[in-house]
Parts: sequence; C-alpha cells; structure tokens
Amino acid sequence: MGNSQRTLYRTLVLCLCISGSALAMPPEGPPRLLSASHEAYANAMLSGGPGKDGIPAIDSPRFSDAASADAYLEPQDIVFGVYHQGQARAYPQRILVWHEIVNDTLGEDGLSISYCPLTATAVGFKRGATSLGVSGKLLNSNVVMYDRASDSHWSQIAGVAIDGPAKGRSLEEVRVVWTTWARWQARHPQTQVLTRATGALRNYNRDPYGSYLPLQGYYAAPGLMFPVMHQDSRLPAKRMILGFRSERVAIAVDRAHLREQAVLHYRHGDEYFLIIRDEQLDTGWAYRSDTPIELDPANLRFTAEGPQAAELEGLEPLNAFDAMWFAWYAFYPQTVLLDGSHAP
Amino acid sequence: MVRTPPSWPLIGALALLYALLYLYAIGDLDFGRVEWSWQALDWQWQRLLARRGPWHFEAVAMLELGVLVLLLSPANLALASVLALLLAINLHGALALRASAQCSLSQGAASSAGLWPALLAGGACCAPSLLLVMGIPGLGVFVGLFAWLLPLSLLLLVLSRCWQRRRGAPRVLWLL
Repeated sequence: MGNSQRTLYRTLVLCLCISGSALAMPPEGPPRLLSASHEAYANAMLSGGPGKDGIPAIDSPRFSDAASADAYLEPQDIVFGVYHQGQARAYPQRILVWHEIVNDTLGEDGLSISYCPLTATAVGFKRGATSLGVSGKLLNSNVVMYDRASDSHWSQIAGVAIDGPAKGRSLEEVRVVWTTWARWQARHPQTQVLTRATGALRNYNRDPYGSYLPLQGYYAAPGLMFPVMHQDSRLPAKRMILGFRSERVAIAVDRAHLREQAVLHYRHGDEYFLIIRDEQLDTGWAYRSDTPIELDPANLRFTAEGPQAAELEGLEPLNAFDAMWFAWYAFYPQTVLLDGSHAP
Repeated sequence: MVRTPPSWPLIGALALLYALLYLYAIGDLDFGRVEWSWQALDWQWQRLLARRGPWHFEAVAMLELGVLVLLLSPANLALASVLALLLAINLHGALALRASAQCSLSQGAASSAGLWPALLAGGACCAPSLLLVMGIPGLGVFVGLFAWLLPLSLLLLVLSRCWQRRRGAPRVLWLL
C-alpha cells in the first residue's frame, strides 16, 4: 500500500468514526435561550469532588408495580414522574440522589432522566442511541453530564453541550414532574416504579444532602456550596420555583405563588404565556403563543397527559421543571420572576 | 505521679473506634431504621477497585441489620485498617514515651494530628460529606484539595511515628 493510499484509508476511517459518533449523539433539540457563551460555561465548570462516573448512572433500570413500591415508599416521598408514549414511570428521589441519571427506555424512545440534588432540578432528555453519564463536574452548582458517544459535556439546566464534539447542540427535553408518591400514584395508578436493584450498592434510606421532610441539611441551609455565575436576593437561594424558557425569555414562577392561582398569564413582548396549576400533582404546566391566550379555568380537566381544554389546542407546550431559585438565576440572570409582588 | 505502661486492649478499642468513625465518615457505615437483609453484587475482580472518588471505593456487598447499614468494600476496609493500625502504633508510642517521662501530654496530643484529615475526607454524592454537613458556603472551590486529605493523614501518622522512634519509643512491628 502506497503512502497516498494509506493516507486516504486513514482519512476514510477518521471520517467514519466522526460521523459514527455524530450519529450516535443525542437527537438535536430546539434552539434554546442561553445567557452566556458555550466557552464561558465551559470555563466556569469545576470539579464537584467525585470523578467521572464516581456517581454511577443507572444503565439497566428495573421497575416494579405501584403495589410493590408501597412497601418502601412513603406517601410523602418525592418522586420524579414521567408520562411518555402512554407509559407512566416514577423515579424515587431517594434513589436518584445517589445516581443522578437513569438511562431508560419508554415506548420507542431512549430517555435519560436526570436529577441534580444541589439545584433540585429533575429534567428528562431524549438520549437517542447513546446514554448519559455523570461527569463529576458542576456548572453553577448544577450537574454536568457527558454523552458516551462523543464524550461531550452537557449542562442539565441549560440543556446544551458546552464543549466537546457536540458543543452547541441542544437536547430535546421530556417533562419530568416533581411530586410526591401519593400524588403521582393517584394520577397514574398503573405507574411503574424504579426499584433499588440499580446495579450499585447504596444506602437508599439516607439522603446524604439532608431531608425534604422535614426540610433539613443542604436543602434548608441558606448558603451555596459552589460558586455561581450570577446571584440575586429577591427570593431565598433555595426557594423552589417552576422555570421554563422560550427562545427569547426565561420565566420563573415562585411555587408558593403558583399554589394560590388556577392559571397565570404573562406577556413578554409579542409572546404570550399561560401557566396552569395542577393541584393534584402540585405542579404547573406552561404554554406559549404568538397571540393572546383565552382560557376559562372551569373548562380545564386533567388526564394522564396533563391539562386538557379546547383552548389549549394550537398552543406551544413548553417544558417546565422545578429548580432552586439560585440555580435558575445563575443560568438566566435576565429571567422574569412571577412571585405575585408585581402585577404581570 | 504514677505513669502506667500502654494498655493494648484500650489501644485496640480506640483503634477500632477510629476505623468505625472513618467508615461512618465515608458513608460505608450508617445508622437508622432499616430491614434485615444482605445484598451482594455478582463477583467480578474489577469491582474490588472500582472507585467512587479519590481514595473511596465501591462496595461489593451491603448488610442491613435493623438499625445499622454496612457497605462492604474491601479497599475501604483495608484503608480503614491501615489508618487504625497506624493510630494504634502512635498511641502505643505516645503512652510509652509518657510513661518514661520523655513526652508531655501536649506533645502526645500533637502527634495525633494525623488522625483528623482522613475523617474529613469522607465522600457523598456531589461533594464531600463534610461540606454538606457543615454547610460552609463557597467551600466547594477547594473540593480538589479534599482528595489529599487521606494521604495527608497517612503521611502525618507515619511522620509522628518516626518522631516517636527518634525519641526512644519502643519498636512495635519490625518496621515501626
């Protein structure tokens, strides 16, 4: 084989490798609001302590039915609920706090359900043929994931790759509901529940960060542990908000304020937003439109898919997720805050 | 004042307590209401040295004993044993020197400086458990330094033992 042939062969192999890893990357999500460049995010990453995969993602999750899960879950235990392609699954917080990512499959979609205890964010992503792992790095105190096809780093809250071959790509999000086991089970009696057979040994009876009931430890402490890019004092740092964003604006709704409303309307420029409170799950659902939104709350009913009403047809559903205020603000310092203090 | 010679049962008990404290600090030993059960992972050699973090290794079995949870990691147990052994030898040396009036109580206490860093290095999930428990704001930027706490403990314990030997403490093992 001559030199030119060898070079051609090597180039072909390299191209195949690169295109192969690109194909295996998670599917591209919609363009997403970013308040800093990818480079700025990459530079702000720092080690969280454990190394890559020191926090082991669950790659072969096992599930039980609701009746079996009752044996180890209390009604008030926090679960992260996903309803996707007609299937309901609950991921107990007491398990995910030790693993942070579950690489699961629902229907025909490979999904990664991620949870960051430091920022109280649970977000689902379509992972395609690859899977996500815990990089051991943090950005704004929030977990940074990596994909096993290209080894790129992905920010959970921003939902984008901040370095590596996938840099600039966004992930397609899937709604994850932060609720309690009793509430999720009432909405989805046929739900499956992640079991403690995770492939790793952990003390799932203890949350190393503290407790949500009663609120203790890191979750109650006012201080932050890791540096963040932006800080704000309008709400206590660890106060829970429901956050969502369009291409142009990020909006945070104080969870306490949302509990007092049936629906919230907000206009930002020529974008119209509607937030519907879901009393049964104690969460909210967000929608966007280019035209004013009319909705009579009396017409709302809630099914496994979420809120249903004729007026919701044609609106763009936006993924929303709970977060600690400090974390949302660190990523979106221009965020709108809906907390009832000002009329929107 | 009557100075008593070192008591091995007392030293052994303190060393065992220290090993348990170390296992508690890294999360391999915990208390709380749990079931009675036993779990073990499928046997694979590489599991023995699978790392959870710097100087922190994965468990291969877990015991739940009603009020106590024990994660069994051979590597973590070995590290706990080495630390406890070094502590025992240091304690023996300090007590022996004090019995022969060659070392004051404060000098003996100073030689125990090596005990503490390892207890502070314990791992949790996103951050060392010490940071989580103490909730010291902003301490996370120093998280990389926590990887050095266990080697620091080992080094300090060895150095203090060398200092004791130079002061005339009796040899306990063939090397120390």
